[in-house]
Amino acid sequence: MADTNNRQALVSLEGICKYFNVGPGKTLKAVDGITMNIYKGETLGVVGESGCGKSTLGRVVMGIYHPTKGKISYSGKEVDLKKTKDRFEYSKKAQIVFQDPYASLNPRMTVGDIIAEGMEIHNMYDKAKRQQRVYELLETVGLNKEHANRFPHEFSGGQRQRIGIARALAIEPEFLVCDEPISALDVSIQSQVINLLKELQERLGLTYMFIAHDLNIVKYISDRIAVMYLGNLVEMADSDELYTHTLHPYSQALLASVPIPDPDREAQKKARVLSGDVPSPINPKPGCKFAGRCPHATDRCRAETPALREVRPHHFVACHLVEKEG
Amino acid sequence: MADVLKIEDLHVSFDTYAGEVHAVRGVSLHVEEGEVLAIVGESGCGKSVTAQTIMKLNPMPPARIKQGKIDLCGKDIVAASEKEMQDIRGRLVSMIFQDPMTCLNPTMKVGKQLTEAIREHRKLSTDEAKKEAVRLLEMVQIPNAPERAEQYPHEYSGGMRQRAMIAMAMSCEPKLLIADEPTTALDVTIQAQIMQLMAKVREETGTAIILITHDLGVVANLADRVAVMYAGKIVETGTAEDIFYRPKHPYTQALLRSLPTVDTDRSEKLVSIAGTPPDLFSPPAGCEFASRCEHCMKVCKKHVPPTYSFGELHKAACWRLHPDFPGQQKEGK
Repeated sequence: MADTNNRQALVSLEGICKYFNVGPGKTLKAVDGITMNIYKGETLGVVGESGCGKSTLGRVVMGIYHPTKGKISYSGKEVDLKKTKDRFEYSKKAQIVFQDPYASLNPRMTVGDIIAEGMEIHNMYDKAKRQQRVYELLETVGLNKEHANRFPHEFSGGQRQRIGIARALAIEPEFLVCDEPISALDVSIQSQVINLLKELQERLGLTYMFIAHDLNIVKYISDRIAVMYLGNLVEMADSDELYTHTLHPYSQALLASVPIPDPDREAQKKARVLSGDVPSPINPKPGCKFAGRCPHATDRCRAETPALREVRPHHFVACHLVEKEG
Repeated sequence: MADVLKIEDLHVSFDTYAGEVHAVRGVSLHVEEGEVLAIVGESGCGKSVTAQTIMKLNPMPPARIKQGKIDLCGKDIVAASEKEMQDIRGRLVSMIFQDPMTCLNPTMKVGKQLTEAIREHRKLSTDEAKKEAVRLLEMVQIPNAPERAEQYPHEYSGGMRQRAMIAMAMSCEPKLLIADEPTTALDVTIQAQIMQLMAKVREETGTAIILITHDLGVVANLADRVAVMYAGKIVETGTAEDIFYRPKHPYTQALLRSLPTVDTDRSEKLVSIAGTPPDLFSPPAGCEFASRCEHCMKVCKKHVPPTYSFGELHKAACWRLHPDFPGQQKEGK
């Protein structure tokens, strides 16, 4: 992908595939050939329905899964996550916040130990300074230092998600993967966490990969958005561009299905409900994966897999039916 | 129109080892024939407990109806025995849940589960009930219904399971359908399908629906009237237009502002409600929202605000709506 704006790519993915063996002759293609750049200081939103591979992609980027094929580069240097040394160095720069704040914190460790663990592993600071950092981090995420000696079960969902964020920030990473960090939270708490993430980005210059299925929130937080369907990237553009010039039929259907908290607009909205379910990612058919549900599908769509092309400046789409502009 | 359901001053508590949890603290509401009432609120605000109490689904003890009246189509639910409830459930009122997988029997074919419910309440032969089950599956738009009826729930996708749940709930044509977070576990495109289906079912059968959700988008799509719950109480109720365009209670206002929409400017900070909901072991003496409210006054912490009416259906409980409150004349009508 051409780096036209002289933006510096922090993380580059090239042809990332992640396949799982799920029985004899059965391959689950969770992520199937994704090439993208994540630029320094930006927030890249990744959206799609469950099973589209967005979380798997996040985990591959973090090195939790090894990609079946493909290459990950960080600051222009290739990272081989199978090498312990590369992995260790990479984990100093990239961290993840998980979806479920109940499952992702060890119930037997105090909050202070949870946050300090990363610093210990990376041999950062001495013990007293680490303690100091824990207190600072707790304050950064809006908790206070008395909380360090408590256990995760003493906190509410929103507070736990803050602990998860504090843990991720402890080793001063540059890049943060947020895997649905707010889907488990209540509406009034969601905005607290979103504001916190935005504030931290401004203050610390972080780069985010923000995985979510709530399109309103993704639009709000992201500079660019990537739409995934069954392991493929179907469309990627700046977030305003994506919402105003939606090109891929799947993105169009996805945006049309988001309910708007406004009864009049909801009543006026043209009913364009997508029929059918997401097909199984096990041994997918050739051709465009969306062809089975697409209202405009042609024979070509069913035979030939569309490639991701740049059809407008910085706007990439994988669909045979979209004409290139300009 | 006649009321299908009328709840007056309902109090429900749970007796636990740690003490009494005041989950529902004086809820009054009514549902008219054929209308959709949405109950919105955060987790733990008592919306699901209220709904479960209508069907008496929460185990008693630990749950306890402390006071109040529930009138469902002329039947007194509070006094009803378990045997009477078994007749009422399914026939007068039925419920669909958030997670359809845990509510369907995994060891039984979907068609069989449907016939079981049908034969419990309606005098039909096995063959007739089977035909009825297929008809219901067709009504909820399950493709190849006769074939699908012979399958087990694990062979269904999430959206189809929720359709099957709706078919089962509608099998005895209840007067009231309670939908507890029916689309929360589903993807947006599937959610849109289920919302469309619920609107269709309501139109065809004239069933009243209580929709419990935290998603205000879903509410805007389906609801005629909305009740906003907070810490076991209804803080504001009104038509969907009242709630979305003329919210009176600070909690409703904050809730609506805290949602980013597609039009929200990215440079704007989201309005968030600081703090967390109160502990229902010992609910606060005054207004339950006082500790998080940006307009909190001294009176709010000490005295429970009365409910003020604005028009026929729009009601809200907040001291700022008192006729003598300075600024009320300017703001209100």
